Amino acid sequence: MNLLRYHLRKLFLILKNEVFVLPSRIVVLLFFLTVLLLPLLYDDPYMMRILILASIFAIFAASWDLLSGFTGQINFGHALFFGVGAYGTAILNLRAGFPPWASIPAGALVAVLAGLLVGLPCLRLRGTYLALTTLAFPIILMGFVFSVPELTGGELGLSGLSRLARSRIANYYIVVITMLVLVTVMWKITDSHMGIIFHAIREDELAVKAAGINTTKYKLIAFSLSGFFAGLAGGLYAHFMRIAGPSTLEISMSFQVVIWSVFGGMVTIWGPVGAVFILFPLLEFFRIWPELRQLMFAIVVMIVLLYMPGGLLPWLRSKIENECPRCKIRNIATRKVCRVCAADLH
Amino acid sequence: MKKVRLLLVAGLVGMLALTIGVPAWGADTIKIGVIGPMQFVQGKGHWNGAIMAEEEINAKGGVKVGKKMMKIELVKADSNEFLNVTDATNAMELLMTRDKVDFVVGGFRTEAVLAMQDIAMEYQKIFIGCGAAHPELCTRVAQDYDTYKYFFRGTPFNSAFLVRTSFLHLKFVGDILKKELGLEKVKVAVVAEKAMWADPMVAATEGFLPKIGMESVGVWRPSPVATDVTAELSAIQRAGAQMIFTIFSSSVGIPFARQGGELKIPAVQVGINVEGQKDGFWEATQGMGEYILTMNTYCRGVEYNELTAPFVETYYKRFGETPTYTADTYSAIKAIVATIEETGSLDADELVKAMEVSERKVASGIVKYMKDEQGRHLHDLTWGPGYLTSLAIQWIDGKPVGVWPNKWVAAPGAPEITYKGIQDYKIPPWVIQAYKK
Repeated sequence: MNLLRYHLRKLFLILKNEVFVLPSRIVVLLFFLTVLLLPLLYDDPYMMRILILASIFAIFAASWDLLSGFTGQINFGHALFFGVGAYGTAILNLRAGFPPWASIPAGALVAVLAGLLVGLPCLRLRGTYLALTTLAFPIILMGFVFSVPELTGGELGLSGLSRLARSRIANYYIVVITMLVLVTVMWKITDSHMGIIFHAIREDELAVKAAGINTTKYKLIAFSLSGFFAGLAGGLYAHFMRIAGPSTLEISMSFQVVIWSVFGGMVTIWGPVGAVFILFPLLEFFRIWPELRQLMFAIVVMIVLLYMPGGLLPWLRSKIENECPRCKIRNIATRKVCRVCAADLH
Repeated sequence: MKKVRLLLVAGLVGMLALTIGVPAWGADTIKIGVIGPMQFVQGKGHWNGAIMAEEEINAKGGVKVGKKMMKIELVKADSNEFLNVTDATNAMELLMTRDKVDFVVGGFRTEAVLAMQDIAMEYQKIFIGCGAAHPELCTRVAQDYDTYKYFFRGTPFNSAFLVRTSFLHLKFVGDILKKELGLEKVKVAVVAEKAMWADPMVAATEGFLPKIGMESVGVWRPSPVATDVTAELSAIQRAGAQMIFTIFSSSVGIPFARQGGELKIPAVQVGINVEGQKDGFWEATQGMGEYILTMNTYCRGVEYNELTAPFVETYYKRFGETPTYTADTYSAIKAIVATIEETGSLDADELVKAMEVSERKVASGIVKYMKDEQGRHLHDLTWGPGYLTSLAIQWIDGKPVGVWPNKWVAAPGAPEITYKGIQDYKIPPWVIQAYKK
């Protein structure tokens, strides 16, 4: 009883001192509560399908931000990790009989290998050269997929995978809780010692090297971590859709993730997540104008980026929060003095 | 300004509520979902065919279900499947859960249809595929009948039969060349666009040619989007080919036919050229595509049976073009309606049983569903004489003309088959000039 009281008190203190002090964190908390409680209030299977897919793509988008946003390794072929995760999971599930709880992490490990394989030749490349090189990898893998149809199913892909769960609501909670956990883990990684090094590599790799840090190792870690999370997303996708096909490797998949991340705000983790949860249902909403659907979507993205060039989340934060000029801690915009160092904020 | 904002927000909320909250329409209608890539020619075919069926059925008072008459209501769903498979599955889910359709017709890209098939089966709704040719869609029915029994193939017949039919066209023209030009062994150049789907066809063709007394002089693989194929055509001419077996689904079919005509390459073009199936082919090739032969489903003036001409001509008058095979959603909807009227029921299981044993005349022949070697239901279309065969069309004088089946004997002792309106195949004059002894 005492233990429970202790944990409740600790939770209350975290909420009071860490969450409720910043509006952006309250938004994240509300997001958690909304996605967890929504099916209890409105259990529509179509809505749940859209939110399940949004959750899967949110993991995928956040994994791109981890690599390209935080570490600055611009990857235009992120579908490679998603596709490898999907195919790896499908092969293990269909050929080796792995259940989804085993095939998805194992498929993600295959994506880690892909991350390392891509990372190694890309270590010497930067900027445009790196982006264009990474763009080639999913295309190469697509060629491989078509050349060994007995393993990959060729143009049909691999279908008939086991379901994650029998009911839609169970599928929903499995995917949504996984998404919340994985995105939180990614956010914590970026907030850790390793995350600071990722930041530093993006800003000035030479300076990081001069400080005695093995940047090669950290860049490979970034590729592997990003590959792992994108691979998990690919595995979840394959089991939910019950098919892993060449469409998981298409260029459009790689570009979608860039659009989501830029729209939500790079170097934020939660920005791309928010973007997916806005843009994916928005595209569905635009089905009411079928002929203009893609055009409307493009217009919305362009308008938002025109007025919020840093992305949605950074724009929102700049409106509701201020950074302390002395200690760099964020405060609600209405505060006159910093909540930590009491420096004047205006 | 505040009022404008308020109005904007209210408008958006209203639209959202409309899109997610509209209930299914009245119970006196049968709702049929038409799903396909609606921004592309294939999806337009799906929708046009479906509209024609709906209008004809409703004009006659609707569908007789037992003692009740019910109208048909179509629901259009853009699957966007060429660009996004996830989108296709969302569109199917929308049809199932929001629109609450009773049946679905359409689909085109196999990967997307496989994923959509799973959703329709989950909701136990009859889904008639009208676009994807891969056998896997029906193999699933045989392997897991209880789950996939609600899927039927509507059009085209499966890809194995498509290959077989194009080989029949090859032999048909080869025999004419042998007879008319006195050739002993016809030399064939195989020209397939550089695409994965064409790979097994190339291998199969090379294996098949010696069996019918023909000889391969080489394989050429131009890009699917090539705009200049004179190098390939010159090489084919140098190789001494008398026939060119084309395997094209992309735009390369146009420059290949045009430049072949311009250069007067002494070899006839036979095979699959999807561009050649379109009404605009003559203009696109500036008349140089004359004499090319390609497989097709419909051709104005050719009748499989008494249903063909009314369908093709009405379609032509209404939409200004000859129907493509995806417009066979028309026949699929008519088949569903006929089965409902026969059984007097809308129960999917009852309808499945009735469709499995039915033999139904449609505009492109007779639809009968096959079983596999083990006697399991496949829900795949029966191919062959008396059922579905498709046509070979040849471009003559600016128009496509049906040239096959023309006195086709499918097996020794079998009756000859020639559809009404079929004309004789014409050898290009420059080919006659080059080889006539």
